[in-house]
Amino acid sequence: MDRTERTMIEIRFHGRGGQGAVVASELLAQAAFLDGKESQSFPFFGVERRGAPVTAFARIDDRPIRLRTSIDAPGVVVVLDPGLLRTTPVTEGIRSGGLLLVNTAADPASLPAPAGVRRAAVDATRIAVAHGLGSVTTPIVNTAVLGALAAATGVVGRTALEAAVDRFVPAFHAENRAAVDDGFAAVRFAPADAPAPAPVVPVPAALPPWPEGPVASIPSRALRTAAWRTLTPVVHTERCTRCNFCWKFCPDDAIGFDAEGYPVIRLDYCKGCGICATECPPKTIEMVAVAEAPA
Amino acid sequence: MTRMVLSGNAAQAHAARLARVQVVAAYPITPQTTIVETLADFAAAGELAAQYIKVESEHSALQVVVSAAGLGARTYTATSSQGLLLMHELLHWASGMRAPIVMGVVNRAVAPPWNIAVDHTDTVAQRDTGWIQFYAESNQEVLDTVLEAYRLAEDPAVRLPAMVTEDAFYLSHTVEPVDVPSSEEADRFLPPRDARAILVPGTATRLGSFTGPDHYVEFRREVARAMERVPETFASVEEEYRRVTGRDHGGPLPLYRVEDADTVLVTMGTATTTARGVVDDLRAQGLKVGLAKLRLFRPFPVEAIRSLGAMVDRIGVMDRSFTFGAAGAAATETAAALYGSPHRPTLSGFLAGIGGRDVTPGEVTRMYRALLDDRASDVRWMDLEPTGGIVHG
Repeated sequence: MDRTERTMIEIRFHGRGGQGAVVASELLAQAAFLDGKESQSFPFFGVERRGAPVTAFARIDDRPIRLRTSIDAPGVVVVLDPGLLRTTPVTEGIRSGGLLLVNTAADPASLPAPAGVRRAAVDATRIAVAHGLGSVTTPIVNTAVLGALAAATGVVGRTALEAAVDRFVPAFHAENRAAVDDGFAAVRFAPADAPAPAPVVPVPAALPPWPEGPVASIPSRALRTAAWRTLTPVVHTERCTRCNFCWKFCPDDAIGFDAEGYPVIRLDYCKGCGICATECPPKTIEMVAVAEAPA
Repeated sequence: MTRMVLSGNAAQAHAARLARVQVVAAYPITPQTTIVETLADFAAAGELAAQYIKVESEHSALQVVVSAAGLGARTYTATSSQGLLLMHELLHWASGMRAPIVMGVVNRAVAPPWNIAVDHTDTVAQRDTGWIQFYAESNQEVLDTVLEAYRLAEDPAVRLPAMVTEDAFYLSHTVEPVDVPSSEEADRFLPPRDARAILVPGTATRLGSFTGPDHYVEFRREVARAMERVPETFASVEEEYRRVTGRDHGGPLPLYRVEDADTVLVTMGTATTTARGVVDDLRAQGLKVGLAKLRLFRPFPVEAIRSLGAMVDRIGVMDRSFTFGAAGAAATETAAALYGSPHRPTLSGFLAGIGGRDVTPGEVTRMYRALLDDRASDVRWMDLEPTGGIVHG
């Protein structure tokens, strides 16, 4: 009953709005088509918001593709933002013998994955910044990651990828082709015998269980939106005057107070917009990259 | 002909370009926006010689194309969900004024709660507005059906507006290979619209103005007759399309592996593709199952449904929408069509894929199993069964 095991390759991309995950998936489908394959790509937008987690799917096959569903048992998982490893169950459903490819400078042996999954890393952020793709704070890493994907899996040829870049990327063709090449050359694998840390238990991003009864509303804070956050507010209480400005300006009820009246960020809900840090008169709130924020 | 990897929305825009539409009314809404954006690109690049009119709402968008169509122009617009609901009043004006507009609709769930994923409630709720409604399964079918819809809508026997729908994201934002006809092929199939307009500038003419009980019913009857002529007219349109392009999509109710089948599932839109694979798997296990795709929902293909009903013992109908206070729309329409037939198989309705829930091979298999075991009534709300899929967001 499993049609996907014959020749079809299913790839799931995890990124954040604005990083280019959707374009990565589309470029892969275009490149596979140029390689003479049948291909399909589509995104899933949970929320239409820059920085929020985005999932995109690609299928590649020698035959016409007859599945129009999300991919819940991918052979390959590609993660464009390593911060998602802490918040999103990216390896959920990944096939045994499958591949996890992460954009990170870290050692691929440190990547969490289920047993039996191969792990690879590419520092696509460094490559994108080196070629001036996006900005230093928001690099567009998709073409470098695709180069690494081509090297790690062979699902698509480098020549076809470069042709897809030329035809379907609107600008910076030479830079994006160079990023494909650099990504192709820079992929690193974890040794097959290196033990993998278990995937962390992610912050739940989904709704709480559906309450029985005629419910028309859900308390906003019951929605666990921490995964949308790329920057975490850290309050340095030693300088705080307890003026409450952060609480007043927070657009979405993500700030409460401790017994002494100091602000406490609700970290399972805060989306990291940074308005509190901007408005705080004595500048006691610092926005810290999620990966470096205290747990 | 060129083979390109296109999204469903790009397929809509290419079809409108190939139809050489003269007026486009554009207002954005997710997940439709990239249709009118692509048409703007075509217009800016000189590949489409259309008046591209940006408006302040969907209500105005439809008014613009109703008026332009009244003057004899070939017109296109596109919308989705809440935008289609805002158009509701003008939908009636379009059919009543016999404006052969073709509109792309991306099927998206209706709020509340807010949701941008696929659900057919938006268009199903417009079934009584006098529009022809096509539901597509692939981006190829989207492109081909838009071109066919112009021939059908403009045919003097019909002269009614048509909407060609596609499932949000599963088609609108899915890229896949599509054969795009050349301009020469498209022109051969679809000549310019007959220039004899209803409204002629400089000549005082009334269209849609006050009509009392003395003539109102005659106007409505003419719309009803035009709708009745759709199946026959569409058969010749699709025959002509096949002659020019070598392709067709099987008429109003394409069938898949129904030969000697005792159990058939009726689907709309993209769930059909997934169901084809399930039919193959169940056939390999020796089960006599088949599939029917409800491609044309308005007018409802009553005769085709009755022919199908005469061949099988059980029909299940999967609705991707819900009509409060009654069952799924396709299920009730199928029941109504079969009631007047001497051959009435067992009929069951399933609700699946509501608000963008995945319709997986497993879910479709469960529908067939329930039909085969004659316990379909136990699993009507497919989505409420645990699926174990990934968590999005």
